[in-house]
Amino acid sequence: MKNTAPTSAEGLEQPGAGPLAAQVREISKIYGTGDAEVIALDHVTVGIPKSRFTAIMGPSGSGKSTLMHCMAGLDSIDSGQVFLGDVELSRLDDKRLTRLRRDKVGFVFQAFNLVPTLTALENITLPMDIAGRKPDTNWLDHVIDTVGLRPRLKHRPSELSGGQQQRVACARALAGRPEIIFADEPTGNLDSRSGAEILSFLRNSVQEMGQTIVMVTHDPAAAAYSDEVLFLTDGRIVDQMVEPTAEKVLERMKGFDLPGVTAS
Amino acid sequence: MMTKVTLRNLTAHKLRLALTALSVVLGVAMVAGTFIFTDSMSKQFDDLFAGIGKNVAVDVRAKQAVQSGSDEQVSSRPPVPAALADELRKVEGVKDVVGNVGGYAAVIGKNGKTVATLGPPQMGMNWVNGGDYDIQSGRAPQGPSEVAIDEATMKKAGYGLGDRARILLQGPTQTMTVVGVIKTGNMMGATVTAFDTATAQRLLLKPGYFNDIQLVSSGVGETVLRDRVARTLPGDVEAITGSALRDELKDDIQQLLSFLQVLLLVFGLIAVFVGAFIIFNTFSMLVAQRTRELALLRAIGASRRQVTRAVMGEALGVGIVGSTIGLLAGVGLAAGLQALMSDGSEGSTGLTFTVTPVIWSYAVGVTITLISAYFPSRRAAKIAPVAAMRDDVALPQRSLRRRAGIGSALTVLGAGLVVAGIADAGPEPLLLLGIGVGMVFIGVAVLAPILSKPVIRVLGGVFPRLFGTPGRLARENALRNPRRTAATASALMIGLALVSAINVVNSSAVASIGRSVDRQFGADYMIISETQGGFSPDAIKAVGQAPGVDQATAMYVGNINVNGKRASVLSGDMAGITEGAKLKMLSGSTDLGADGLLVDEDTAKSNDYKVGSTLPAQFTDGARQQLRVAGIYEKNDVIGSRLLSEQAYLAHTAKPLAFMGMVQVATPGTASKQAVEGALRDYPNLQVQDRSEVKESFQKQLDQVVVFFTILLAMSIIIAAVGVINTLALSVVERTREIGLLRAVGVSRRQLRRMIRLESVVIAVFGALLGIGIGVALGAAVQNGLADQGLDILKIPVVTLVVYVVLGGVIGMLAALWPAWRAGRMDVLKAIATE
Ligand SMILES: Nc1ncnc2c1ncn2[C@@H]1O[C@H](COP(=O)(O)OP(=O)(O)O)[C@@H](O)[C@H]1O
Ligand SMILES: [Mg+2]
Repeated sequence: MKNTAPTSAEGLEQPGAGPLAAQVREISKIYGTGDAEVIALDHVTVGIPKSRFTAIMGPSGSGKSTLMHCMAGLDSIDSGQVFLGDVELSRLDDKRLTRLRRDKVGFVFQAFNLVPTLTALENITLPMDIAGRKPDTNWLDHVIDTVGLRPRLKHRPSELSGGQQQRVACARALAGRPEIIFADEPTGNLDSRSGAEILSFLRNSVQEMGQTIVMVTHDPAAAAYSDEVLFLTDGRIVDQMVEPTAEKVLERMKGFDLPGVTAS
Repeated sequence: MMTKVTLRNLTAHKLRLALTALSVVLGVAMVAGTFIFTDSMSKQFDDLFAGIGKNVAVDVRAKQAVQSGSDEQVSSRPPVPAALADELRKVEGVKDVVGNVGGYAAVIGKNGKTVATLGPPQMGMNWVNGGDYDIQSGRAPQGPSEVAIDEATMKKAGYGLGDRARILLQGPTQTMTVVGVIKTGNMMGATVTAFDTATAQRLLLKPGYFNDIQLVSSGVGETVLRDRVARTLPGDVEAITGSALRDELKDDIQQLLSFLQVLLLVFGLIAVFVGAFIIFNTFSMLVAQRTRELALLRAIGASRRQVTRAVMGEALGVGIVGSTIGLLAGVGLAAGLQALMSDGSEGSTGLTFTVTPVIWSYAVGVTITLISAYFPSRRAAKIAPVAAMRDDVALPQRSLRRRAGIGSALTVLGAGLVVAGIADAGPEPLLLLGIGVGMVFIGVAVLAPILSKPVIRVLGGVFPRLFGTPGRLARENALRNPRRTAATASALMIGLALVSAINVVNSSAVASIGRSVDRQFGADYMIISETQGGFSPDAIKAVGQAPGVDQATAMYVGNINVNGKRASVLSGDMAGITEGAKLKMLSGSTDLGADGLLVDEDTAKSNDYKVGSTLPAQFTDGARQQLRVAGIYEKNDVIGSRLLSEQAYLAHTAKPLAFMGMVQVATPGTASKQAVEGALRDYPNLQVQDRSEVKESFQKQLDQVVVFFTILLAMSIIIAAVGVINTLALSVVERTREIGLLRAVGVSRRQLRRMIRLESVVIAVFGALLGIGIGVALGAAVQNGLADQGLDILKIPVVTLVVYVVLGGVIGMLAALWPAWRAGRMDVLKAIATE
């Protein structure tokens, strides 16, 4: 008895959810060989709708980060297909993949998001500078004001608090108007107040700017900021939830908490 | 427990430590190679001399009245008359008497080129049956036009038995028939040409004379025979035992070898010194990267001593491994040097191993590693245990003010020693100079982190504009850890400082000589010999007969004792010298007669000579004579400090040899030059140079010296390049996560590689600038110190120095290739995930 949860692409598409910003089809990822073999992703199929805030939930080690990395073109897959927009990633060489990340994808990691030698502003415009693109100044001002970093632009990361650093990372992800932003536990290292600031900021950027965001988290309170939650356990999508609240998510999580529960 | 930590770390960081060990290896290899090479040479010479003069019981020769200068190859002993040999034959116990004739003779090969190397001599001699050498094929030379040549030279010249060979001499060139091949064994480039005795006397020495006379004993002990012989000798002739003669020969060679050894060793130690910076830097970086781990060790109870010892243990491991490989590499280096020096004859290979290189390798390699790692290990011990718990750990940094103080003090003190050393102070001025330069290097290296900020800001200022974000990141990365940047740059600084100093001195010398030539060289042409020793004044006489030549003057050089002290004198026809050297008399006259001496103003002043002073003098032939100071002239770079009457010089010199000729012609030009050259047809080793060619040939000679030193310093620069590789490779490892982040947000591999290359370039150029700064200062100090010895113009070779800066950049670029490639290959995800 495998994959009782609705994991087919059709099953995930909500009526009125519109086109997909990214999707993966039947992807598997296996680490190691023999005894040390770990199936991090097990024939996962998922679609990420445009202009929505999607959360990927699951216990530690369930494959959340792996899924995100594969979707973002940071990691290779062993089987299946990954699409960003309508581009299939497995066909791209490193050069094109890099350009794709630079132009179409934004990242926020849990920690070590910033280049320590660059100021906050330089970090924000980094992807555009690399691409040799002029930033859209109006948009940039808007983003900076939204994250409230104006007085800190000349500071280096070491002179910023953890929350401020994550805001710089978010601003960087948004500044280039990428088609999709991937955030891996962006609030994992923050106190709850700073975390809440970041999350509402991400939420607003989806609502007001129509940004597409995928966020990996294991915190039900964080997941509650999203439009939709995908639950991952043992490398498989086991459930999904629209318009989540912290309580509902926590409730659902309890059922998945123990590894192997769904498989039995 | 701590030993385990040490061992684990050694194996965990194999690559970094291998690179560190490499900088030990290269320096140690030079040191070990020097010893193995000179030991082997020494052994070969011993073997060579074991055969020479083995039958000689007593050697009879003229006493040396005037010590020859250390830089002169020709013996200053006058010859002894051949008639003495007949007297010696009568002494009881003398079985055989052999008169030796030796002098300059070289073979001109089939291709017209003289078979000669720069160092080893071209020896001409009289053939003696049963002497030092045997005939390998053919027969001994007889009569005025036969010659025997050693095996290796025959091969190089392309001659066979029966061929007519041209023989280059100090007198006119002779064409002779090759009748014998001499078996010599390995001569290390020296050539041997033998004639029969009468011919040798005529061509090499003086008819009726021998250089020395060797006696074979009929069974009497050599000391007994020596004493017996001594009783019969005239006062200016002496007798020594065969053993003493062989020892003298060996001593001469040993002196030459130990000079070579010290020279090579100095450059080996410079390379080791450069390696010390690399070791220091690597250990500093390893400690910094392991801060948290070391803090953890401290937190769970390891003492400071234990932490220090753990790091020093690693250094010991690196030192031992590096020294061992260095020793082995030294064997290879010595073999290479030997192959380079070999003349291709058998017995020229084979290395000699003594315990000396082994002791030196380990002493130098291990000591330098331990000293260099000591400071980083002390810093490691200062890491607070709480650092284990903190996220943003930084090692405690020493205050800038203290650094500035220590660095400036060392630099100033070192500069003081340099100045003292150049001024010839103390018993060992060269050692003083060396220590001073070393201190300046360390002082500037201590100051370098402070200097690096403004300099790299400026150097990297154009990067963002030229290379965009990778450029800016590169500049920031170079600025990020000033200590690291400084130590890396300092290693490169040392080699380039020495090379630049040599270039500054060289170009100053060229400029100074050029000006002297312009001001004081009044002759239209100068005649010099391409080969060692002087040449026959007959050549100059021939030039004097040539059409269009007004005056041709042979210039002689020699040593005499004045007031019991050796003094070098020049001599020649005064009319020619006055015009050719633009001699300006301050007092007295140039009419020297048979006892006149001219001195320059400085010599007159320091010795309190006045016109008319009389000085007791002794000549090389032992004769004593009063010399009269006939005049005082203005300081003259062509002539030097003393001019002796030509009449007096010739009277006391058995075989006068000119070292230079000065020619005045009616109308200078191609025609007159051709006329002079035509007169020298029989002297293919003589060159006719006009004023600009004189300057050029000086420059060429000096350039050769520069090239020689630059090659010796190349190893130091290579080690510094290894240091740059090391620093970058470690930085790449340290910044793994950051590199991952950059890749994730879209930095391409190419941009990443460029970023690392640019960082490397800016560090290397910084090092090159530091080095060139010190080099120019050092070169200027040397020039200033030697200004009164003719080095009176300071000329900074701007173009060459700019080339060195560019070269520094290129070294940086090349050194970055591998680290950049590694960074580019780094897995994006692993880079982000690194904990
Ligand atoms: N580089 C790797 N090598 C081996 N196993 C890995 C690697 N990365 C992740 N894994 C394994 O894959 C599984 C999923 O990991 P991950 O995606 O990081 O989980 P999550 O982010 O949900 O905590 C885990 O069992 C983890 O141990
Ligand atoms: Mg994770």
